[in-house]
Amino acid sequence: MRILLTGGSASGKSTYAEKLSLLLPPPHYYIATMEVMDEEARKKVIRHQGMRAGKGFITIERPKDLGGLDFDEAGTILVECLCNLLANEMFDREGRMLDVYNKILDDLEELEKKSRNLILVTNEVGSDGYPYGPGTQAYIQLLGRLNRAFAARFDSLAELAAGIPLVLKGELP
Amino acid sequence: MILVIGGVGSGKRDYVRELGYEDSMVADAVMDERPVLYNLQNLVFPHPEKAMDLFDALLEKDLVVCHEVGSGIIPALAHDRAGREAVGRLCSRLAARAEKVVRMVCGIPVILKEDLS
Repeated sequence: MRILLTGGSASGKSTYAEKLSLLLPPPHYYIATMEVMDEEARKKVIRHQGMRAGKGFITIERPKDLGGLDFDEAGTILVECLCNLLANEMFDREGRMLDVYNKILDDLEELEKKSRNLILVTNEVGSDGYPYGPGTQAYIQLLGRLNRAFAARFDSLAELAAGIPLVLKGELP
Repeated sequence: MILVIGGVGSGKRDYVRELGYEDSMVADAVMDERPVLYNLQNLVFPHPEKAMDLFDALLEKDLVVCHEVGSGIIPALAHDRAGREAVGRLCSRLAARAEKVVRMVCGIPVILKEDLS
């Protein structure tokens, strides 16, 4: 099954996503999309590694191009997270914007084919109503469109609020 | 303790009044003997690293009310990022212990959790 998990920052998405993954059959792959550029990112990665320690996840660091990944055995894939993946895909080194909507949908479809279960974590970034510049506005729009596309395609959708899952579509394991 | 969360203008204050708490019973981002703590996020933001120090005292309140602050673009400043992370984590921890968790959406209280015991 394919599950989309959304929610704001620090709403409990990672904790819940890992818990859900472990309810599904092994092997458990964890695809980390965050590029470690500074100390704060490093601390976040270490915190998440600590949360996963001893749970048997196979961690794959992959900031973009997820479609090209191969797996020894079809298992349960947890992708964390779409918000970092999109930022990595849509802005190149020079800060130019690329149209990556279809590419991301296709890359994730590859993962769906190569797994038995897929959990994708995303984020809610469009609810502060602040008038950002064009690059950030484009990012907010595109993440919203991708969230809708995955929610429509996947079997289940849940939103986390204060650590509590609200099932908006389908069922959770 | 009942935890009430929601965005700006979502109806949290009206909901507190509907539960029978007059404004004089509501403490705005200060810890004192009043039964309702409002604007928890404003208590957390100045010192995000100390957020969990509030935990035990918050559990003693009748009502704790907090803005949901995590559903926008991640702020450019490290201190702002730390603040919203701390608010979100504290709310998750409070929700785990609360008898009831309510999220206001367009003035409508959505019950996220309710202990019937």
